[in-house]
Amino acid sequence: MMSRVGSLVSKYRRFIPLSATVLLFIVAYIYGLFAFPSMRDPQVFLNMFRNYPFLLISAVGMTFVILTGGIDLSVSGVVALTTVASAALLRGGMHPALVIVLMLLMGIALGATMGSFIAFMKVQPFIATLAGMWFARGMCFFISDDAIAINNWWWKVLGQTKFLIPGLSDPAAKTGDFISPLVIVSLTVVLIAIYVSQFTRFGRTVYAVGGNEQSARLMGLPVESTKVIVYTISGFCSALAGLALSIAVASGHGLYAQMFELDVIASVVMGGTLLSGGTGYMFGTLFGVLVNVLIQTLIQFQGSLSSWWTKIVIGVLTLIFIGVQSQLAARRARLPGEAGAAGTEKSFWARRWKLITAVGGVVVALVAVIFIVRGLQGPDGGGAAAGCTDPAFRQELAAQLMQEPGAVLTYEKNGGPNCTGELFVIYSDGRIVGDNGTAKIEKQITPEEVQALLSAIDDLGWYTDEFYDTWHARCGQCFGYYITVAYDGQVKTVRGVDGGTDAPTRYWDVVTLIYAVIPKFN
Amino acid sequence: MAETDSTILKMTGISKSFPGVQALENVDLSLKQGEILALVGENGAGKSTLIKVLTGVEHPDTGTITLFGRDTRVRSPQHAVDLGISTVYQENNLCMNLSVAENIIIGREPMRFLWWKVNLEGLSPSARRIIRMLVYIDWQTMHALAKKLLLELGVDIDVTQPLGSYSVAIQQMVAIARALEISNAKILIFDEPTSSLDLDETRQLFDVMKQLKQKGVGIVFITHFLNQVYEVSDRITVLRNGKLVGTYETRQLPHLDLIAKMIGRSLSGLDEMTKIKLRTMKTIKKEPCLTARGVGRAGAIKPFDLDLHRGEVVGLAGLLGSGRTEIASLLYGTETPDVGTLIVENQAVKNFSPLDSIKRGVVLCPEDRKGEGIVDDLTVRENIILALQASRGWFRYLSTPQQYEIAERYIKLLNISTPSADQAVKNLSGGNQQKVILARWLAANPEVMILDEPTRGIDVGTKTEIQKLVLTLAEEGKSCVFISSELEEVIRTSHRIVVLRDREKVGEFVGETDEQKIMKTMAGSEA
Amino acid sequence: MKTTKPFISWRTITESRLFFPLLALAIILAFDLIFVPGFFNFSTMDGHLYGSIIDVLRNGSSIMLLAIGMTLVIATGGVDLSVGAVMAIAASVAALMMNPYVLATELPPNLAKLVFDPHFTYSPLWLVIIVTLLISTICGLWNGLLVAYGRIQAMVATLILMIAGRGIAQLITNGIRIQIFYDPYAFIGNGWIILPFPLYIVTVVFLAAWIITRRTAIGLFIESVGINFRSSFFSGIDEKKIKLLAYAFCGFCAGVAGLIASSNIKTSDANNIGLTLELDAILAVVIGGTLMSGGRFSLLASVIGALVIQAMTTSILSIGVPAFAIQAIKGVFVIFVIVLYSDQVRGFIRRITAPKGVTL
Repeated sequence: MMSRVGSLVSKYRRFIPLSATVLLFIVAYIYGLFAFPSMRDPQVFLNMFRNYPFLLISAVGMTFVILTGGIDLSVSGVVALTTVASAALLRGGMHPALVIVLMLLMGIALGATMGSFIAFMKVQPFIATLAGMWFARGMCFFISDDAIAINNWWWKVLGQTKFLIPGLSDPAAKTGDFISPLVIVSLTVVLIAIYVSQFTRFGRTVYAVGGNEQSARLMGLPVESTKVIVYTISGFCSALAGLALSIAVASGHGLYAQMFELDVIASVVMGGTLLSGGTGYMFGTLFGVLVNVLIQTLIQFQGSLSSWWTKIVIGVLTLIFIGVQSQLAARRARLPGEAGAAGTEKSFWARRWKLITAVGGVVVALVAVIFIVRGLQGPDGGGAAAGCTDPAFRQELAAQLMQEPGAVLTYEKNGGPNCTGELFVIYSDGRIVGDNGTAKIEKQITPEEVQALLSAIDDLGWYTDEFYDTWHARCGQCFGYYITVAYDGQVKTVRGVDGGTDAPTRYWDVVTLIYAVIPKFN
Repeated sequence: MAETDSTILKMTGISKSFPGVQALENVDLSLKQGEILALVGENGAGKSTLIKVLTGVEHPDTGTITLFGRDTRVRSPQHAVDLGISTVYQENNLCMNLSVAENIIIGREPMRFLWWKVNLEGLSPSARRIIRMLVYIDWQTMHALAKKLLLELGVDIDVTQPLGSYSVAIQQMVAIARALEISNAKILIFDEPTSSLDLDETRQLFDVMKQLKQKGVGIVFITHFLNQVYEVSDRITVLRNGKLVGTYETRQLPHLDLIAKMIGRSLSGLDEMTKIKLRTMKTIKKEPCLTARGVGRAGAIKPFDLDLHRGEVVGLAGLLGSGRTEIASLLYGTETPDVGTLIVENQAVKNFSPLDSIKRGVVLCPEDRKGEGIVDDLTVRENIILALQASRGWFRYLSTPQQYEIAERYIKLLNISTPSADQAVKNLSGGNQQKVILARWLAANPEVMILDEPTRGIDVGTKTEIQKLVLTLAEEGKSCVFISSELEEVIRTSHRIVVLRDREKVGEFVGETDEQKIMKTMAGSEA
Repeated sequence: MKTTKPFISWRTITESRLFFPLLALAIILAFDLIFVPGFFNFSTMDGHLYGSIIDVLRNGSSIMLLAIGMTLVIATGGVDLSVGAVMAIAASVAALMMNPYVLATELPPNLAKLVFDPHFTYSPLWLVIIVTLLISTICGLWNGLLVAYGRIQAMVATLILMIAGRGIAQLITNGIRIQIFYDPYAFIGNGWIILPFPLYIVTVVFLAAWIITRRTAIGLFIESVGINFRSSFFSGIDEKKIKLLAYAFCGFCAGVAGLIASSNIKTSDANNIGLTLELDAILAVVIGGTLMSGGRFSLLASVIGALVIQAMTTSILSIGVPAFAIQAIKGVFVIFVIVLYSDQVRGFIRRITAPKGVTL
């Protein structure tokens, strides 16, 4: 019986990395179902596809490239460029269908150019696609500095149509579990990719080139043109992903998709594709993306872990996967005496000790990092119970308070690990009044200090274009701010939230200045 | 096999030279239909160059190739395949990650559309362009076809598994299947096919070769295993030092004669070298400076004993694959022995690593000059001081004047031909590169030098220089283990000769100059 | 090919490793001379030297530092993608050590005021610097262990820290951008002793690197390992330790760069510090002529490469091109450089300039 299992395992040995990913996904999902009751809604599963179609599409294109042993760092640039370009063209009145076609052509052109450099001029893929990324992202800003909103009917339809799942929904009431058109698009892309990679000569050539380029050439396969085509595919997929992103956020901006290529590469790697090329399955990429998204979902549900934990966990998982990969699979550069000599029979575990040590070392390192960092943070670190909700900003109240005579500044700070909300008003005569929903607090400072504060805020450029609203979902430890300042005949409100890259830098100088003077609740 | 002239391939007067070395000089080769021709010769004889010319990898300087009666120029490897010449290499040109079936058929997979089978190759180009879009790979048919091809070769395996999961022997069968399927080969070249095969697998391969012979395929069989030559080949072509020694009917050439032709005869008569050797024999000390007892490594070499005395040169004689390089690796520490003890300067060796060896005074000049010897982008000077510097560690850096002084010293001593000590080593000829490597090891002040094929690919004049150098060092009290495929050289330079065969030490001769005896021991009892 | 020392001829100039990077720099400076009025002007104020060239040197100090460390890593045949993330970690550690109170939700009032005091720091500056550099070197060692002992591809191994490192940096500061008001720390990035202080730091690190690589055998071993690690092994070189050293030093350089960068903006910005700088550093090394496959390297050439990148950025800004266009132009420039350095063009130029009789 054991030998039957053993032979079964060895027959399908090449599917082990893929199975590991699928298994990980299932186990993690089951854990989630137990730990977070709200995850049991089937919509959560569907949302994993709904929220990240662009990641899946891009990962498919990247898989083709990585299978040939290359890499495509330009995806984030092309995605961003596609969002901006399409937004600009739509705003300019071009027909949406034409915009779509044009964007895809642009992706194809960019990909083919990079592919030609790599295949014919023998430039390293790393450098060529890096240049492509810079170029693409740079082009974004030639089109527009700011985000451009998209108001097109086509985009709306594609983004917001709900396809209700039969059996899980009520068509009459138009409620229930649904997916969006983009999900269908992304899944179609995956299916087409599976077909191409397994059933066409081109697909098999891709695997051959990645497995042993020299052999492939000697076998008479068209190595150079295959390489050009895979980068073209990746460019096409990046453009398509960009379109999906622009539909999802209904806008285009050159700052979108920062570090996106890392997410994509990590997903592909976790799906079982070797970075050295030649091994991997599109199906695996699908699950790699799902695992990636699942981790983010789980962390969101946990609520107390910051989003940076996602980055760390993804990094560690990628490492473990790569470690497992490189042990299970191909040859590496070795020195004589490193591998066992031909014919030495060591036990299964003796041969794997390096792998075990590596994995064990990583786990130990991770635990150590957690402890050290928690220790550094002190008892204030750590999270609240999951499930507290932030109070909303009391915008109307703040506006009202600003009308009162002498009111010059309102400062509201909501959020944090305990989902607190504090609203302060500063008056020109030096009074500061604050309440956090349960208690009130007051403090008196001199009018000169108030003037100094207002003047400092003005100097920082509060009333210029350099201060603008930003908002995104906040991390577990972060705060959101809603600040209104009146000075010298001007009144301006700016919202901001901790932890993002998008807030104007000097916003935090303002927050610090205000924080310094207001009284603190116990 | 017909008696009439059924020559399908004739190579005449082939010469090829590379910078610094004449690889082939006026070589002829002919191959008949349905015959197996063995191409033999020791390292540097020119076998691989000849094959490269035949398969279009290299173009000959002079000479003609006549294929099926027609003069041909083989332009490229792909062209050779089109002409019907296929090669099966020792290092397979296959993709380990693809399945067996794919490796055989990739590029020409059978296609289908729903339930119609489509043969793309049989269509006109314009039709092909259209239909190509619709069809997809017919895996079923492909697997069936691959299985059939392999069964014809006597191999029954699961063709859906990746190639890398099978043994080298199976991989070779797959390579053969591809070669036959793709090119409809009429000439098949086997380049060292049995090096990684065991007895049964070799037998299987030979069965296949005989089968192909029956079908009329002409086979060129390159090997250094002489007993295999006798097992399958009809005729033997012998090369030595780039020249053709001759072509003989296998059953008419005794084993010993074959070896003699391959490795050459020594020039009889006393010459200066022998004088030096006789002189140095007197200065050999009694105590050994290096002792190996029962040192062995599974899969590499059976346990052996070896004593090395100060001022002595011990030669290792044996054919390729007999275990010479493996002994060198164990003595130097690049491989760790499984059994036995090694004692150097009266201290047992615990750490096996090149650095430790160098510090102990044992150095190895490796066989693979390009891969394990030179660091080609570094200069002559840097290459020469490299090992010495490694032994001194990171911080005791040789100052630049010191480096130049050492480099110049050895450039002069070994007569290295280079415009300056700052020339990049990759620009030097093979012979001079070898001298640079030797200089490196000499500069490390060794007590024991292990030289693995130090004169390979080097012109005659330099060869003698190096041999003289070895004896001079012996006179100064150093010891040397001298490994070479050329028996005459080993005999000329060594005080004592250890004979290896099939990864085992089989004999030891002191002061013996009777080649016959030594060759007999090398060849084994079948001779 | 190294040139023999005493002779200076046209050949030695064109074949020197510094030729191409200096040429690129010269092109940019020539461009400046023609199109940017006042580029070469200097002015002094308060005993400090100012000018566009000084700006280039000052703003490029991070890239120069990263390039120095990256050169060693690339010379061994690897690459370190994590340097930007290590900069962020370094900045976070330093900021936290100077102001750990920022993590507390409530501060006693006297401490609250103290935090903004320019003379306040929780830990002494020397300790901050030492601990930060220690941690960044450990990050480098981590990379080195993965590459040299774990035999993982360098790009993959350092990708891990690149992804996880920013997360770690955020975690250290609990996501908060810690503001640093401590004056002496600000001096690191903003101070002037006639010339901007970062320049002195870069010079010291460069000298240290030069001493390590050229006054010991380490440089030779790095080159040997990068060119042919098997031959190096047979010659007795421990290539694992060499690689470990290279990555550790690269981490160290990233730590120094992180200190300078965070000192510049007086904040630890875990998301933005060093973002995309690793790519700039790699490009600088490539411009400097070190092959990505490893081997011969020149620290000076890499530094010049870094200056080329920075000079290009500054020049373009000087003629009024808006900041966003920098990226696009960088992309085009990279393409230009890699074409220039590609085999075809290199071979072509070498053939033109080769003296008669030298076998190629």
